Amino acid sequence: MNLKFKRSWLILLSFVLMLGILAACSGGSDNTSTEGEEGDKEQTEAGPQMGGTVYGAMDTAPSGSFNPIFYEEAYEANILDFVFEGLVTQNDSLEFIPNLAKEWEYNEDHSEITFKLEENVKWHDGEPFTAHDVVFTYKAMSDPAYIEAGGVRASEYASRLVGYTEYSEGQTDEFQGVVAEDDHTVTFKFAEPNVIALSDASFPIIPEHIFKDIPVADMPSAPESRQPGKVIGTGPFKFTEMVQGEQYVLEKNADYWQGEPYLDSVVWKVVDQAVILGLLENGEIDFVAEPNGFQPADYEAVEAMANVEIIEQPDFGYQLMGIMHNHRAAGDMTLDPSKWTVNENLKDQRVRQAIAYAIDRQAIIDGLLYGRGIVQNSPIATQFWAYDDQNPPAYEYDPDKANELLDEAGYVDVDGDGFREDPNGEKWGLNLNYPLGNQIRERSAPIIEEFLEEVGINIDLRQPKEAAAYFEDLEKNSQDWDLYLVGWSLSSGDPSPEGLWGSKDFYNYSRWNNPEADKLLAEAVKPPEAFEQEYRKEIYSKWQVEFGEDLPALILYAQNSLWAHNSRMEGIDVLPYRFHNNPHLWYVTE
Amino acid sequence: MFQYIIRRILVFIPMLFVLTVIVFALMQAAPGDAFTGKIDPTVDPEVYEKRREALGLNDPIHIQYWNWVKGAVRGDFGDSLIYKGRAVSDLIAERFSNTVNLGVMTLIITIVVSIPIGIYSARHPYTPLDYGATAFGFFGLATPNFFFGLVAIYIFSIKLGWLPAHGTVSKPGIEGFELFFDKIKHLILPSITLGLAGTASYMRYMRSEVLDVLGSDYIRTARAKGMTENTVLYKHTLRNALIPIITLLGFEVGVLLGGAVITESVFQFPGLGTLFITSIGNRDYPVIMAINLMLGFFVLLGNLLADIFYSIVDPRIRYD
Repeated sequence: MNLKFKRSWLILLSFVLMLGILAACSGGSDNTSTEGEEGDKEQTEAGPQMGGTVYGAMDTAPSGSFNPIFYEEAYEANILDFVFEGLVTQNDSLEFIPNLAKEWEYNEDHSEITFKLEENVKWHDGEPFTAHDVVFTYKAMSDPAYIEAGGVRASEYASRLVGYTEYSEGQTDEFQGVVAEDDHTVTFKFAEPNVIALSDASFPIIPEHIFKDIPVADMPSAPESRQPGKVIGTGPFKFTEMVQGEQYVLEKNADYWQGEPYLDSVVWKVVDQAVILGLLENGEIDFVAEPNGFQPADYEAVEAMANVEIIEQPDFGYQLMGIMHNHRAAGDMTLDPSKWTVNENLKDQRVRQAIAYAIDRQAIIDGLLYGRGIVQNSPIATQFWAYDDQNPPAYEYDPDKANELLDEAGYVDVDGDGFREDPNGEKWGLNLNYPLGNQIRERSAPIIEEFLEEVGINIDLRQPKEAAAYFEDLEKNSQDWDLYLVGWSLSSGDPSPEGLWGSKDFYNYSRWNNPEADKLLAEAVKPPEAFEQEYRKEIYSKWQVEFGEDLPALILYAQNSLWAHNSRMEGIDVLPYRFHNNPHLWYVTE
Repeated sequence: MFQYIIRRILVFIPMLFVLTVIVFALMQAAPGDAFTGKIDPTVDPEVYEKRREALGLNDPIHIQYWNWVKGAVRGDFGDSLIYKGRAVSDLIAERFSNTVNLGVMTLIITIVVSIPIGIYSARHPYTPLDYGATAFGFFGLATPNFFFGLVAIYIFSIKLGWLPAHGTVSKPGIEGFELFFDKIKHLILPSITLGLAGTASYMRYMRSEVLDVLGSDYIRTARAKGMTENTVLYKHTLRNALIPIITLLGFEVGVLLGGAVITESVFQFPGLGTLFITSIGNRDYPVIMAINLMLGFFVLLGNLLADIFYSIVDPRIRYD
């Protein structure tokens, strides 16, 4: 009896303790809002002022490659964006505009492009920036040792240069792709007329005088690629100090060629996702942006912070549900469509379209993303001129239409178990595969299952796997897969869907083989017509219609980027693809 | 004694060898490798194939293992597959000191808090303070690390602004005493968070051990001889009560040095735990192997230390 009493007393006490802590958690939001209002008052004072430091937060530490030609992650880009610059950059509407190059012209057939460089640009160590640095950068990316050393940028930026293959395979010592005409004139020579020449030439430039004696194979481990003070660029900020894994300090480059930055420094802190918003509210952190921003679920909480402003815009990535058109045989590592076998389960186009009609994508966005995303009808980011929101089928949620299409295709429930059988009356069902690693995507899988079962499609929702295992299966062991979830994040350089959706593309996991679509993709980049944007737009529009009708994938949603910054930070002018645009114009008001 | 230690250390070698074989085999059995998770539409997949070839990931497993062993016996654990251009030993060394700091601080807090409270509770059982300690014990054991860590950050960092919420130092470039105190300041919240469960359980162990010993015959004898209560407690009781605690602390050393994944990630404290977890997620096998080997070594070492401490605490225990 006595003992019993003691126990319940204890439980009570623990409860009281817990409640006390919980109350302490939830009780604080009002007092900070007054602080914010005070901040607002001061803000009215005046325009840009010199000095000050802003603190940015990222949720994961960069791996530590601070050399543009070797970096791979967005966390590293957070530092590189301030330190290095390319010849050209992009504006609001994603057109290329001058940066280190002030002007350019093409030759007759667009196989060469010649840049005039800015003349008063200096590296952080005072050496002048010249055309030889540009040559050096592209030469390093074409080096035979580059890929083995871990570089992954060659295929996107250097592979179209003339003589790239010969040089990168070591057959010749002579690099012809980029040529310095004089100290401030540089010509890019491509093997063929190149529609995306400016995108190719936009890569950040590294200093020749720093790296010239370091073999490419040793570059990733060289202090010049890793250590603050030794990493030298032309950008508005210098990378001067760090505590590895915790803090990264960027100090202003007072001799910056576009003018001295207002801020003294920008400091990156590595902070857990769960803590970022608290520190944003109490002012210890000034901004959180790429790559993850903050979560849609926290939107209201951030909006309620009086001292914080939100920037919301569409992202370049999207999530999709792939629909397997064909299967590659086990062990076949080639990309030869003639060896593929048709996926009988999904070979009828009406079935694929029924699937698209059956899924309420807006509901997924509203439910899982709190409305912070958009429905997208083709795999080209909506910010691009090439995105067509008119012609491709939109597949508004319409379960009746889905049922109708399935009936029409002969998929009817004959045995009365609630699920449809195939036209021969045999059992029919689809499996849905998805990876771990993105919570919203994970939660969307069972919702999709429900939508599809609603129209009588028997869905086998498979156990999710973590990414490394999932993608290995998707590449090699997907012979019985029907539906799969995956997300792509795209580059802002050029809208071409090549690389993902051509029949011979490695990442065409649906093994979509549509000769008409392939033809359009090729036409869209075929010179000389393709130098006209209008022409490309038209072709891509046709391709998007083809994609929408044939459905190698249903684009589920594109999540908006949600970025936030303290209102004391001014001069922020974000680009569709980047928060750190012109950081030399950032300033603080207190 | 000396011979005993040498013998024990020699036994480490085959045990660690078996450990590496098992871990290596398990890692190979898991699907995917360091590059399968990296899918970037702007990167030609050929690139990853070339890297696999260059790194020997396409070789048969026994050759890969042999290559690893050849390096490891010479102290060369290779380069990380993910952290480009960084030697594994370098990566581990960088984080090891953080982990040691956190581990030592946690151990100090655990011992300093739990043992006195445990003794007090045992000497004054069923008093309000004993109940309070018991309640704290339940609370400590029942509260998940990440929750306690977040609450602590919320109260002490965000609301009160007393202690830093993340990292190990407040800014680069500080030195000497300032650095020392700055580091201590950064260790307080993570080590309390990490030590909470340990403190609670050692307190409970200590209480029951001391109660146990206090009830035994030789204590009654000691009291009957007219010894003061303090002599009874500190000379006779404590030494005997500490033996099981030392065993547990021996394990704890291994565990703490292995890093504390959850606490480390809540505080973004760059220690071995987070390195270990990201390496596993990335299939960065040279790092995984090296950390495993190290952990295995420290667990064995912790046990050995526990055995040595036995003989110090309890003179009846001798090793020949």
